[in-house]
Amino acid sequence: MIHNPYFVIFANSLWSGIAALGFAILFNIPKKVITTVLFLGFLAGLIKALFIHFEFNIIIATFFAALSVGIFSIPFASRVHKPIVVFSIPSIIPMIPGFFAYKTILAIRQFTFYKIDNVQRDRMLDAIFSNGFMTLFILFAITVGVSGPMLILGKDMTRRLKD
Amino acid sequence: MNRKTNIEESINLLLEISSLLMSSGANTKRVIDSLNRFAQALHFKSHALISHKSIIMTLIDIRTKESYTVVTQIPKYTVDLTIVSDISRASWKAIDSKWNYQKINQKITAIKNKKKYPLWIELVMVSLAGAGFAKLFGGDYLNMSLAFLATFIGLFVSKKLHNFAVNVYVRVFIASLTASGIAAIGVIFFIGSKPEIALATSVLFLVPGVPLINSFNDLYNNHILNGLVRFVNGFLVVLSIGLGLISIMLLFNITTL
Repeated sequence: MIHNPYFVIFANSLWSGIAALGFAILFNIPKKVITTVLFLGFLAGLIKALFIHFEFNIIIATFFAALSVGIFSIPFASRVHKPIVVFSIPSIIPMIPGFFAYKTILAIRQFTFYKIDNVQRDRMLDAIFSNGFMTLFILFAITVGVSGPMLILGKDMTRRLKD
Repeated sequence: MNRKTNIEESINLLLEISSLLMSSGANTKRVIDSLNRFAQALHFKSHALISHKSIIMTLIDIRTKESYTVVTQIPKYTVDLTIVSDISRASWKAIDSKWNYQKINQKITAIKNKKKYPLWIELVMVSLAGAGFAKLFGGDYLNMSLAFLATFIGLFVSKKLHNFAVNVYVRVFIASLTASGIAAIGVIFFIGSKPEIALATSVLFLVPGVPLINSFNDLYNNHILNGLVRFVNGFLVVLSIGLGLISIMLLFNITTL
């Protein structure tokens, strides 16, 4: 049971929901939307983990996870009468590529602080660029995914949702 | 009421609303939209130049064409989504139920004085988030508890420093130094199966998620300048986090990560 990959994915998604909720509290969200954030964070974690499980690229996985947050936010927003950002921002925070950002900076550290030979320099350059662009593209994926539905639906929907 | 004082009071209220929205983590489009709605409710037309640190606003009386321009400074940035949510709601209500100056002023004061979550709940929840990150990166329960402890103390230090007028990058650097210093104990004494995961995730609570998301939102909405400012801001915070982490790694001679 414990080593079933789907069980692991489910458990990790729950932790992703908790991480989203933690940041939501830090950002002082209204009490009414706590369960929504927990659910959306869980959903985002689940979709991202499933896509990665089926060997999609992490950028694509993140995009679809963010997109699902963007889409599911709309019915929630119309039900609790709160602007979408209130629960969409905390829910996608766990997907922010902090880990890639550090790897970039650590590679820069090794590139500049240590005496290394040419082979290692090449490796470090590769690490700086791959991790740096990974960070940038995951950020793109998150922001396009989460704000995409509202950008497409446009002004009319904004007015109807009072977003 | 005298017309001159009317326009002066209104512009001060609108500037207060916009700087409150900016400093609470709304993107530029939302600030401008809310501002326009409030101005419409007060029978004015508003034009604003919003930058990261200050706002320039001109208010025009629709009937008399009289105008008034004021510049204001935006206070320290602290993300508060309740304020963003409540002001957005209030801006729609102001149009729909035709609020006057007094009503809007009352509402904004009420929103500003709304109670926040107590510090201990904030600390525990964010620390749980830190533990969750450790789990997501494949750590075991010992790594998770260490990440919890490191986040808890790191966030506490960060919150305390926020009350003093410490430079934001210095604050993030010190918080990152504290959190990774505690997590480094795990690497030194081999606590748990992957102690370096606790070290990497201990500082994730400092990642500037809201500035980075708002940065791209601003870029998509063609507020390029504000978007770039926010991006550079977020990048510098990431740099400060990295600097804290690197210092600890150099200090304890940790090479794996």
